[in-house]
Amino acid sequence: MAKLTNISCLLLCATCGASPLFSVAQQAMTYNGLVKDKQLNVGLAGATIRTSSGKYTSTDNEGKFQLLTSPGDSLTITSVGYDSYRVALTSTPTLIIPLVKSATQLEETVVIGYGSIKKSSLTASVSKIENKNLDQVPSARPETALQGRLPGLNISQTRSTPGAAPVIRIRGIGSISAGNDPLLVVDGFPGASWSNINANDIESIEVLKDASAASIYGSRASGGVIIITTRTGKAGKPVVRANVLAGWSQPILHDDFMNSQEYYETIIKYQNREYFYVGGDTSLPLWGDSRRPAGYQVNPDILNGNDVNWQNAVTKNAPFQSYDLSVTGGTEQSKYYLSAVYKDQQGTLLNTFFKSYGMRASVDTKINERFQIGAMLNPTYQSARTSPLTMDSYNKYPPFVAIQNPDGSYPKARDYWGFNVSSQANPMGILMGTNNQGQTLSALGNIYAVYKILDGLTLKTTLNANMFYNNTDKFQASWASNTGLSSGSAADSRIITLLNENTLNYNRTFAQHHDVSLMAGASYQKATSRNINLLAVNGTFNNNIIETLNNALINPNGSNTLKSVWGMISYFGRANYAYKEKYLLSASIRTDGSSRFGPDNKWGLFPSASAAWRISKENFMLDQELISDFKLRASLGNSGNMNIGDFAYLGLVTGGLYTVNDQTQNWLAQSSFGNNKLSWEKTNEFDLGIDLSFWTNRLSITADYYRKRTKNLLYQVSIPSTTGFTSSLSNIGEIENKGFEFDLNSKNLIGKLKWNTNFNFSFNRNKVINLGGVNERMTSISYGMNWLLRVGEPMFSYYGYKHIGVFQREEQLNSLPKLTGEKLGNPIYEDINKDGKITADDRSILGNFMPKSYWGMTNAFSYRNFDLSFTLQAVIGSKMYNFENQFYQGSVLGNMRKSLVAGSWWSPQEPGDGHTPALSLSQLSFNANSDLYIEDASFLALRNINFGYTFPTDLSSKMGIKSLRLFTSVNNAFLLTKKGFHAYNPEGYTGGEVGGISSTPGYNVGSEPISRVYTFGLNLSF
Amino acid sequence: MKLNITILLLASSLLFGSCTDELLNTIPPSSLTDINYYNDANDMEKAVLGIYAKMQSRKPNDYQLLELSSDNLYGSTNTGFAGIPEIDALAISPNNPILTAFWQESYAGIFRANAVISNIDKPKDYTESKKNQHLGEAKFMRALFYFDLVRTFGAVPKVLTALSIDEARQYKRSATEAIYDQIIQDLNDAIEKLPLKSALSRNRASKEAALALLGKVYVAKKDWTNAETVLRQFFTSYGDNYMLVADYNQLWSLENENNSEVLFSIGYTDGTNGQDLSTAFVPNGGIYNLVSRGSEVALPSWSLHKKIQADDTRLRKTVESNYFSAVSGGQNAIYFPYASKFIVKHTALAAGLDLPVLRLADVILLYAEALNENGKLGDAITQLNKIRQRAFGSQNHNYSIDQLTQKDQFVTALLDERQIELAFECERWYDLVRQGKMTAVMKVEERNYNPSSQIAQKVTLSPKDYMHLFPIPQTEIDLVGKTILEQNPGY
Repeated sequence: MAKLTNISCLLLCATCGASPLFSVAQQAMTYNGLVKDKQLNVGLAGATIRTSSGKYTSTDNEGKFQLLTSPGDSLTITSVGYDSYRVALTSTPTLIIPLVKSATQLEETVVIGYGSIKKSSLTASVSKIENKNLDQVPSARPETALQGRLPGLNISQTRSTPGAAPVIRIRGIGSISAGNDPLLVVDGFPGASWSNINANDIESIEVLKDASAASIYGSRASGGVIIITTRTGKAGKPVVRANVLAGWSQPILHDDFMNSQEYYETIIKYQNREYFYVGGDTSLPLWGDSRRPAGYQVNPDILNGNDVNWQNAVTKNAPFQSYDLSVTGGTEQSKYYLSAVYKDQQGTLLNTFFKSYGMRASVDTKINERFQIGAMLNPTYQSARTSPLTMDSYNKYPPFVAIQNPDGSYPKARDYWGFNVSSQANPMGILMGTNNQGQTLSALGNIYAVYKILDGLTLKTTLNANMFYNNTDKFQASWASNTGLSSGSAADSRIITLLNENTLNYNRTFAQHHDVSLMAGASYQKATSRNINLLAVNGTFNNNIIETLNNALINPNGSNTLKSVWGMISYFGRANYAYKEKYLLSASIRTDGSSRFGPDNKWGLFPSASAAWRISKENFMLDQELISDFKLRASLGNSGNMNIGDFAYLGLVTGGLYTVNDQTQNWLAQSSFGNNKLSWEKTNEFDLGIDLSFWTNRLSITADYYRKRTKNLLYQVSIPSTTGFTSSLSNIGEIENKGFEFDLNSKNLIGKLKWNTNFNFSFNRNKVINLGGVNERMTSISYGMNWLLRVGEPMFSYYGYKHIGVFQREEQLNSLPKLTGEKLGNPIYEDINKDGKITADDRSILGNFMPKSYWGMTNAFSYRNFDLSFTLQAVIGSKMYNFENQFYQGSVLGNMRKSLVAGSWWSPQEPGDGHTPALSLSQLSFNANSDLYIEDASFLALRNINFGYTFPTDLSSKMGIKSLRLFTSVNNAFLLTKKGFHAYNPEGYTGGEVGGISSTPGYNVGSEPISRVYTFGLNLSF
Repeated sequence: MKLNITILLLASSLLFGSCTDELLNTIPPSSLTDINYYNDANDMEKAVLGIYAKMQSRKPNDYQLLELSSDNLYGSTNTGFAGIPEIDALAISPNNPILTAFWQESYAGIFRANAVISNIDKPKDYTESKKNQHLGEAKFMRALFYFDLVRTFGAVPKVLTALSIDEARQYKRSATEAIYDQIIQDLNDAIEKLPLKSALSRNRASKEAALALLGKVYVAKKDWTNAETVLRQFFTSYGDNYMLVADYNQLWSLENENNSEVLFSIGYTDGTNGQDLSTAFVPNGGIYNLVSRGSEVALPSWSLHKKIQADDTRLRKTVESNYFSAVSGGQNAIYFPYASKFIVKHTALAAGLDLPVLRLADVILLYAEALNENGKLGDAITQLNKIRQRAFGSQNHNYSIDQLTQKDQFVTALLDERQIELAFECERWYDLVRQGKMTAVMKVEERNYNPSSQIAQKVTLSPKDYMHLFPIPQTEIDLVGKTILEQNPGY
């Protein structure tokens, strides 16, 4: 203990080393130094100077430093990105220290779980993005800015509502029910949320793609792991950085909705066709003749002069603004980072918005040579107003309805055409009279201590807390509701997660050539949640003014409080060994115990091993200059998935209401089967990779092949219902994903005109290997489309009939095979098994929502003070079940899109193009069960183009500014889709992705238009 | 110093070691589990209500299987409903989702009844009468679920205790006769254990309901002797407690749910615990003054509509032809016939109207049927005329012994009477099958009548004898293998 005190004293003195008051060394003198970049010949701010006697200082903004010490000491000067420099002091009081940039890009370090490693020593497949300009891509969410940037990481913006989270997938989909989201680790906190992250605070993002890297996170790593490291304080004078962005989003809309005259003419044909189908005489007058039933009439009043394009009426060009401010500084002993952000994004759909307020504060302090502590706090507040309905509910409204009556009320289609037409409320009324809002307050915080036990051996303890509060308030006025009834609900939820992690790290080089690093740790996590739900009885609001539920009757069926809890204990370790930086080995193991699994299987074990050979370090490679780095990697790893309900292994008892003598009473009954054997879903992954660089890293290539098998799938397996239940959560089945990834970085030009290119692509093939005894399982929806899980095929493939024509003539009906009930105008299906009949056996696989390949390319140019970059993204081979088309074909007598009704069968006299069948609600089941609504959703998008100008240093420094850059950018500058694709957004799926045995991925009804976003902004630092 | 670190590490591991239980053996804070349930009398009360709740959720959907298949309803094109088109076309496949749900929901109800019966002795804190009542209720409901299953599928697995998944995979169908024996045994137990309705509620099983149901079971079994005996016993013992409601329309009103005719009905509460059957037949545009919007799943067939005479008071509460949409202001009716029986003023999709399971008119007609089969035609006509007299408000439409001289003639009249009296109450299909008339009646179904042209759309169907039983759901067969769960012939 005495020794410790001595050291602290020494360090304390060193802290104020520059002050003569505390001078302890004799014959000390003041040294003045300048640290500069050798190539650029400019001073380097924030470089660290350390004396052999233990004193520290760092350089100021101009790279200068002053140090009081004795000659004979030696100085070590370090700065991030530069080789360290060592100099012995003489009696000369001025020093000029030229630092050389670190030789290779491969020397950068990469954050892996519970530590970091030199990129050159990596044995696993890990991609890294440093935050150089992510914060310049205007987006309410940071992950959107990553689109097209990394191979194997697919980010799709399935919904375009303000602030909506995109779907992120790493190397395909392996789980049916337990989720496929990658684990997000923010500053060591696993399970963090993207919505807490402000792009400007990100230092780097690492994606642990293969299981050998991810398995250190064990039971939660099946979907891959994304690690975000945020900016922390840097020693030196305070540096203030500000990003200010403003602009607007322009929805990319359809241009083929009918006007009211076209609508009127088409609806007549539509009604006559319906009447023809029930054997009616279509020559009867359309209106006012009782011989034609009301359901087949057309009210001429709808040609009333109104001509509303509802799509245009409910959307607008929406402004947004974003302000980001950060300050960093401190001394070598204590560093701080402070930031604040405010974002305000209006939705392109009226009455929607997303606002975000956040701040982050972190401080790191070295108490002494061995002991460092720090803390971080990151509160975020978000507020959003969302649309109650999907886009199809608004844009298909018939054009003859006025947006608003002169008296301020909102007319309905039925006010004009009493019968038959959609009874939905006026879209503008719905948007104005519905107030669905959600607010989230979350705070992520941690404190940590690092203790250096011996040289190379450190102990780190971290305590993390994540607090999450969310409230949702919904209200719909009676006049905004389809049913004419007011409705409302309120919900509060709270989740508190506590995490303690303790790690021991040991790094040492033995006998010059043997690099060893060891890590061991333990982690304890607990999360508790509480929800309060309140529901109003529909129609009981006293008035349409007060939106809170004290103004209504509370519905006991749907009002409750709920609590839950889960916990986990983990032990883990990792060993890395390198010989002469040539032969690299790594192995890790983790064991997790989780409260979510049955007593027989609480603990899971997740090992991994990987190896790499750096051929470029071999002697025979040293004499050439072409190849600067050449590495082969191979890895095997095991990771898990625990994303099921907190108590899913237990036979739970839940209840509801039963009415006895007009009094509602509670009942209770067992609602699920217990399963003590319930255990982890496990993924085994094998990865082979190559890293290759040429001409001192002018060109570098990374390629990976992987095969991933997810076993013991956690899903609701069907069981005989004689048990009283139809399914039971079990570990059954196996899914395979295998694929190839390629990443190329090239510095095409490095002179005055600089040009860098990143190009990447990846392929993934998904296949069901085993479903646990059965060969296939199918999910069907109304009107006949099916999603098939079949051994040997990709998960959730579309399954139905192939339509090869239309019954245009009576003789076709008599000669060709058909489904029961088919008549003129219905599709001719392909008789797959050639038995002369159309039966369920003639259905076949019609494609899949999963893309076959992903492509991305970013080009960055700079010339003098100008810079330009653009990112292209292409996704090939995905198929969408675009069921919303039927709405735009008149199925509820709503407005239609010309491209969707063109060529359809109207009558024996107007039989259409022979490919497009009769389109109506009554015929829908003959169309929807086929490939008619399956569309190729491949696309090519210019996701972002960014043009900037940086003011010259001499000009900006006169203004007291370190750097100033002005820029303008356009998101989604163009989007090309295939001919025959009709939705707004090729990634816009409303049916959700894979999330359970009854998933309908690829289903779309009413996804929102994506936006072209124009931005102007400035990046400023001083 | 090294010692300090060691102590620190040891301390921390001990500290966290002690909370293993807290982290790993967590207990659900918001839910009981199968381990700590059925402990006291109150648990049993909740568990019994759980059995009714299964019927509460299944009952409003039964029409999809049992009335769309018959000549009472046909599917509207307004609503896409997986499975309905093929039921409507009498081409029911084993994959039909509605059929599958009917099977699954029924067995879920049986599971809950079995749980009550198996655990009835666990609580020690109830009075003997409560214990008897709960046991009787559970047996009544189990019998009711099996009665629906056996009439729909024939031989089905006879599950009387909780099954493990492995046991269920080996569980075969029991013969139709064995299922009926179980139903009769359960109902006899229920009759013995259950109190009278006056001591309970119309929404819970009672002694009278159990007795009447037993009579109905014998009718379904065509055990006419026992049917007559049991039903006569019902009328002798409890005939005074029940009588037909004078105005048929009053049967279907919220104010009169607790009427003198109801033996057992499933309870609902508007808004908070409602049923959607009242909305199912409402035209899409709602009905003026009653409901703002309808589901319009099915519409009444002309085959039914044309049989109801204009002066039959039941017409208005069976098929309503004059349609006033929600926004019509009650003006300018449109000719659009819809099934009006269950339509009361209600919150869309959550109506409070009770749905009858067993009511006196049904029991009277069952008794009439049994009497006729036992050669007591005169007595049978007397019973049938009770229903006619109520329907027409006079004796003018009563059948005389001269009109119905043959047993067969009576059956025809009785089936028509049952079709009208019990329309949309899910009796028609079973009636046709029981009396062997299904294949004859279902050859043509008339729909979509046009009053101007006076022509209805005639839909030709292909009823076959094997369709007397619906197919066993394919998903259930796939789960256990077709040797364990054999498909009904014809499918």
